[in-house]
Amino acid sequence: MTVEFLGTLRGLSYLAAGMLFILSLRGLSTQESARRGNLLGTVGMGLAVIVTALVFLASVIGRDTSAPEAAAAAPTMAMGLLAAALIGGGAVGALLASRVAMTSMPELVAILHSFVGAAAVLVGIATYLQPSGIEEHRAVHLVEIYVGILVGAVTFSGSVVAFTKLRGIVGSRPLMLPGRHALNAAMVIGSIVLAAMFLQQPGADGLPYLLIMTGIALILGIHLVMAIGGGDMPVVVSLLNSYSGWAAAAAGFMLSNDLLIVTGALVGSSGAILSMIMCRAMNRSIWNVVFGGFGAPPKAAAKGDGAAAPAGKINETSVKEVAEQLLGSKNVIIVPGYGMAVAQAQHAVKDISSLLIEKGVNVRYAIHPVAGRLPGHMNVLLAEANVSYEIVKEMEEINEDFAHTDMVLVIGANDIVNPSALDDASSPIYGMPVLEVWKAARVIMLKRSMNAGYAGIDNPLTYRDNTYMLFGDARKSVTSLLTELRA
Amino acid sequence: MSTKVGIPKETFPRERRVAASPDTVQKLIKLGVEISIEAGAGVAAGFPDEVFAEAGAQIVPTAAALWGQADLILKVRPPSLAEIDMMKPGAALIGFFWPAQNKALIDRLAARKATVLAMDAVPRITRAQRMDALSAMANIAGYRAVLEAAGHFERFLPGQITAAGKVKPAQVLVLGAGVAGLAAIAAAKSLGAVVKAFDTRAAAREQVESLGGQFIPFDFKEEGEGQGGYAKEMSAAYLAAEQALIAGHAERSDIVISTALIPGKPAPVLLTSGAVVAMPHGAVIVDMAAEQGGNCPLTERDAVVEKYGVTIIGHTDLPSRMARQSSELYAMTIFNLTESLFPKEKGFTIDLEDEIHRGALILKDGALMWPPPPRPKPPAPAAPKVEAPKALGAGHGAGPAEKKKGIGGRVAGAVLVVLLTAAGLAGPPDFLQHLTVFLLACVVGWHVVWNVTPALHTPLMSVTNAISGIILVGGMVVLGSGAGAVANVLAAAAVLLAAINVAGGFLVTQRMLRMFRK
Repeated sequence: MTVEFLGTLRGLSYLAAGMLFILSLRGLSTQESARRGNLLGTVGMGLAVIVTALVFLASVIGRDTSAPEAAAAAPTMAMGLLAAALIGGGAVGALLASRVAMTSMPELVAILHSFVGAAAVLVGIATYLQPSGIEEHRAVHLVEIYVGILVGAVTFSGSVVAFTKLRGIVGSRPLMLPGRHALNAAMVIGSIVLAAMFLQQPGADGLPYLLIMTGIALILGIHLVMAIGGGDMPVVVSLLNSYSGWAAAAAGFMLSNDLLIVTGALVGSSGAILSMIMCRAMNRSIWNVVFGGFGAPPKAAAKGDGAAAPAGKINETSVKEVAEQLLGSKNVIIVPGYGMAVAQAQHAVKDISSLLIEKGVNVRYAIHPVAGRLPGHMNVLLAEANVSYEIVKEMEEINEDFAHTDMVLVIGANDIVNPSALDDASSPIYGMPVLEVWKAARVIMLKRSMNAGYAGIDNPLTYRDNTYMLFGDARKSVTSLLTELRA
Repeated sequence: MSTKVGIPKETFPRERRVAASPDTVQKLIKLGVEISIEAGAGVAAGFPDEVFAEAGAQIVPTAAALWGQADLILKVRPPSLAEIDMMKPGAALIGFFWPAQNKALIDRLAARKATVLAMDAVPRITRAQRMDALSAMANIAGYRAVLEAAGHFERFLPGQITAAGKVKPAQVLVLGAGVAGLAAIAAAKSLGAVVKAFDTRAAAREQVESLGGQFIPFDFKEEGEGQGGYAKEMSAAYLAAEQALIAGHAERSDIVISTALIPGKPAPVLLTSGAVVAMPHGAVIVDMAAEQGGNCPLTERDAVVEKYGVTIIGHTDLPSRMARQSSELYAMTIFNLTESLFPKEKGFTIDLEDEIHRGALILKDGALMWPPPPRPKPPAPAAPKVEAPKALGAGHGAGPAEKKKGIGGRVAGAVLVVLLTAAGLAGPPDFLQHLTVFLLACVVGWHVVWNVTPALHTPLMSVTNAISGIILVGGMVVLGSGAGAVANVLAAAAVLLAAINVAGGFLVTQRMLRMFRK
């Protein structure tokens, strides 16, 4: 009676949770409904966890009826473990979420993905170790476990590498091993061969094969992400997001749990789309990002140093000059980039824009779809600094307006304002739509030094006649600019 | 044998422009073509024959000789039937053409196996701005319209305080803030007038204000933005509301410049007779839509009339009234298009894959190519975007790529069906059911996310990340199923990691979203 009732309750709650998740993602697509969307997601997750916990309690207490071959482990131990894990994990997560600076959001998201991957691996191995009742169709079940672990492991190691790259622990340049495609292929084939061997083993004897494959998958994940350059990091994070969904879906298959399947698939496909939207914005194919490594063609690299570099004269300017020009302008567009995030300059930038708006200057922000290290990263930072999202414009909305703009302030951005994307076919970013800031009457670039951007390529914008460089740390420059404007 | 390019004298009444300037003649010759110009073609535009001869053109005495020998004719106005009959069979023609209004010309040219590219059909994309003759001419016309109005307006435009008394600045109302309207705003403003402008597109506000004009907003349910950023035709109720609003403003205006056009349709009546009656005595209206019937029913084409004390100017030749300037600019746009038709090392070539060539092409060797296949890319109705599709992926041959994808999709679909059938036959009974659920969820995920605003990418990712923490439930299921101690510890570790993810993900999203504000 109770068991039947619990089964029905579980089924209904899972349905409700799945729907809540769908509504949650839907809600996140506009500003107005975003907060409600997040709330719906939270409620769905809470519902799923509570109901699963109820079923868990019922099964632990009524062990002798529901599971005839009861394991030796005391039910209390399982309960204790669960409680500790839930409470401990929740506390750590809450702490992380409240402490993280908005500028390190990309790293946080990356590391959280790795947790899902790791959890999928652990669940997979645990499922394998647990004696399965059904001997019929055992192969299908084993394949499900195998795939789940594989995807989980790739997600895990890939996310960890993404995390270290975003943190700057590992350099951002793509690692280009000779024959890397062959290497990847070998690892995939190796995994398939191992799978065949694994399937032959009775009981839990296949564990060594499973662990070896896990190792290979870990290396594969590391290698895949190492080969991707800094400029593509936003897409990678989003792809890993998608992978973590697929890992959850695979876990759902092995556990015959529909909620896991639905939610995993939801996250997997929406993550894939997000990656595609971003790739489209960069005018590149997703395969190019996944297997390419950014700007790999050796021809371009060779040419980049010498002939193509328009090593010309640069114009330097001073804070005082910029302040005067800003006050004399009618239309100003601010282009923030990762440099602004690194220097934590968003608040000072906001103060400048408010001051100018008060003085009647039309100030807007132009956001490139891949500015920063996460899609929408700049929007989050500007929101943190209380910039009204109505003056924050997407590239497509504002690119035509640069021609009628008196001044553009480029703050810590580089590749996204690089004109060679449009006119230099040898440039690794050729074909990527960029913010056409050079069409404005005057461009001020705030930059730490003449070093190249994250993609590691020269920017001819710096040599244009209407470009003026303001060297120095973004926050210091912006703060002194603010002081000058107030004077 | 190099291509012979011919530039005839325009024959349309009051047309003073010419399709080449000495400057573009030199540039054209660099493309490796021979240029001949009909005697006297540039005189009205201020380019006597000697100047063209100096630039390297050959002067041909008669129209018949010129049309008879040229492989490519560059013109301003559409050719007359008589001109077509002089044309060398199989020759090409570039110029304004207005294919929708000139069916008879198309038929006659088709009979001559002619190739025709219309300057007015060049698509309005970023890459084609250098060839945008319409904008170049509209800019001149808008400027000239203000000067015409000022000429008939028997008062100052700027406000002045003189010893003899105070003069109020003239009130100028501009209807339609397209290129011509914006040029008129700029010109009127620089003459010192107070300028207001009306446009149905809310997106025009910024442009109007950037020129120092005051924007008259118009709230009505229908959206006025169509393909390629042109205003489209509106319903009767809409039009009535529009007329009432404009009449209210016209009553207080000294000069009205009206520029509203709907492509391929008669111009909308914005300024009713009633509105004209109410205007101040001595006011001036320049109806730049006169050629398409006018924005005011009292307008007489190509004439200046006075009705109810208001001067109404219906000139249709505004660019020709600045023939030298407009010839120079028109010649540049037509040269830019011509240049793209002569790729390196090749003769005259029309690239059908090129969005610009394809768009401008009316006839190819006598075969009708117009209208080009649609490229439906108007901005999504929800977002207040300004001509957004212009910027992205212009001319990257989106058409064929999409087709390929479609085939790829069908192949993938077929493979999927086969795999599913195999899984259903071989797998356990509930496997197929799980797969169904899985695929449906994929489709839902696919559709739910497409419309996300880019600003929300980070929160969206962070929430999906939190949701993928659902693997927590997986850990709990394993933990609850009475596995061994090792499995239990592994499962508990999984729950721990997933719980971090869930709590962290949702909370950080909430924190982020709280910051977004207007």
